[in-house]
Amino acid sequence: MRGFMVFMRKEMLEILRTWRIWVLPAIMVFIGITSPLLAEFTPALVKSVMASEQSGAVIEIPEAITRDAYLQFSKNSMQMALIGVIIAVAGMIASEKRSGTAILVLTKPVSRTGLVIAKVLSNWVLLLGATVMGAALCVAVTLMIFDSALISEFVTATALWFLLSAMFIACMAVFSALIGSQGGAAGAGVGLFLGVSILSAWGPGRDFTPAGLLSAGDRILIGESPELLWPILSTVLVTVLAVALAAFIFERQEL
Amino acid sequence: MTGAIEITELTKIYGKTHALDGVTLTVPEGSIYGFLGPNGAGKTTALRILTGLARPSSGTATIFGHDVVHSTTSVRSEIGFLPDVPGYYPWMTAEEFLTFSGDLFGIEESVLRERVKSLLDLAGLSGVSQRVGGYSRGMKQRLGVAQALINAPRLLMLDEPTSALDPMGRKDVLDMIRALKGRTTVFFSTHILSDVERVCDTVAILDKGTVVREAPIADLKHTGGSTRVAIEIGDQPVEVEQALTLLPWATECQRDGRVITCTLGDVEVARREIPQLIAQMGASLIRLEELEPTLEDVFVELVGGGM
Repeated sequence: MRGFMVFMRKEMLEILRTWRIWVLPAIMVFIGITSPLLAEFTPALVKSVMASEQSGAVIEIPEAITRDAYLQFSKNSMQMALIGVIIAVAGMIASEKRSGTAILVLTKPVSRTGLVIAKVLSNWVLLLGATVMGAALCVAVTLMIFDSALISEFVTATALWFLLSAMFIACMAVFSALIGSQGGAAGAGVGLFLGVSILSAWGPGRDFTPAGLLSAGDRILIGESPELLWPILSTVLVTVLAVALAAFIFERQEL
Repeated sequence: MTGAIEITELTKIYGKTHALDGVTLTVPEGSIYGFLGPNGAGKTTALRILTGLARPSSGTATIFGHDVVHSTTSVRSEIGFLPDVPGYYPWMTAEEFLTFSGDLFGIEESVLRERVKSLLDLAGLSGVSQRVGGYSRGMKQRLGVAQALINAPRLLMLDEPTSALDPMGRKDVLDMIRALKGRTTVFFSTHILSDVERVCDTVAILDKGTVVREAPIADLKHTGGSTRVAIEIGDQPVEVEQALTLLPWATECQRDGRVITCTLGDVEVARREIPQLIAQMGASLIRLEELEPTLEDVFVELVGGGM
């Protein structure tokens, strides 16, 4: 346990001292600030484009409201940020193996399972911090532009995004342990994202698997009440199984 | 004496390649044990198995009586290990890495602080604030030795610890290993014969995954290789050399000026016949000296010069 705690502390320090502190927070901050702005200015932009084309067509574009800002944040998070997460964490175990640091660490009192859990946990902490930061900025900018906030719906939608992203991080631990290269693991992660996206278009897939969380946030923000029990339970289950599988794979590998 | 390391019939097969083929050896506690072999002989594979980084295809290995084939957990706190190419977190300083390593062993803070300081001194890295990512290979190797000593291990395992070092760095590391004699068992692999001769008391020679000889260095030199003699003569050195090469018990004669060095198959016959031969040729014998075989002689004979 002590070895795990020391390694976990090293992971957190590594986040603070390297590029890792910049990437995910920067993505989330960018999305947090730009989503309300995009929601506000998109109708004006579309109107100006239509006017310049002088096509004669008349398209009524409603004024943007608070909900649009959060929907923009939700969509951006689900695509840009999630792919950013996948790429950023792809080397979590592979890089330790390739650089030889795993050898120095694992010949000391640290278990391989402990190393995997510390890797996943530290990335969850980073993701949580980045998510809170991005979401808070989104709420702040939304309040400035729209004078109102749907805080509870937005928090629920963001929490579901975090849960899904946490599952992807756990799955990336499997790919990173299995494939052994950051590029290969990232490719597998993007493939998994596409697979989950396709699954979300299929009714039972949306109702009973983690794919349901891909669109759940948007549906909550537009006032629907999607059934969340199975998507949440299955996401938690896949997360736990993925961490266990990553540890199982890493335990059996030769370094 | 109890073996710090006991390996029995250890075999590691990769596909059709036998990286280790029935290796059996015992490393006495307190010894400085050289694990000598040409590149690709299987030294690193054996060390990876002993440290739990790889699993053998068959055979057993124990460290201080604990089975390390199935788990190294129980002995990790008692061993220090330096791999052939140590990898570090480039964003850490040497002091931070040593502190991190010590923390993993649960060393008390005040003890660790002192130990880190003395090991930084030992590694010549005191006052170096640069991060490890900017270190030369030699600096990394010295830091590697220091981190392997952070827990004051009972057994220190070093994989080619001097291969990346300049002559001064090599001397420092070998002096440090020698200073551990009696307190810590040192098991180190190398292909540098002079390093083994300088610090080891026992050596195992590994070739193609097999231990071809295991013995104390002194025994190895006396029981190993053929006897060589140096013959210094006053005149006719070319003729004498030619005559010697025709004799059945003399092989590999080489001449350097008036000194001829021969490897002998039958020492007793040679002692009698060499002076007679030189006298018959009318030449004068100045010196006839038996040369002690070097580790290199023994090594070349055992592994067929495969370095």
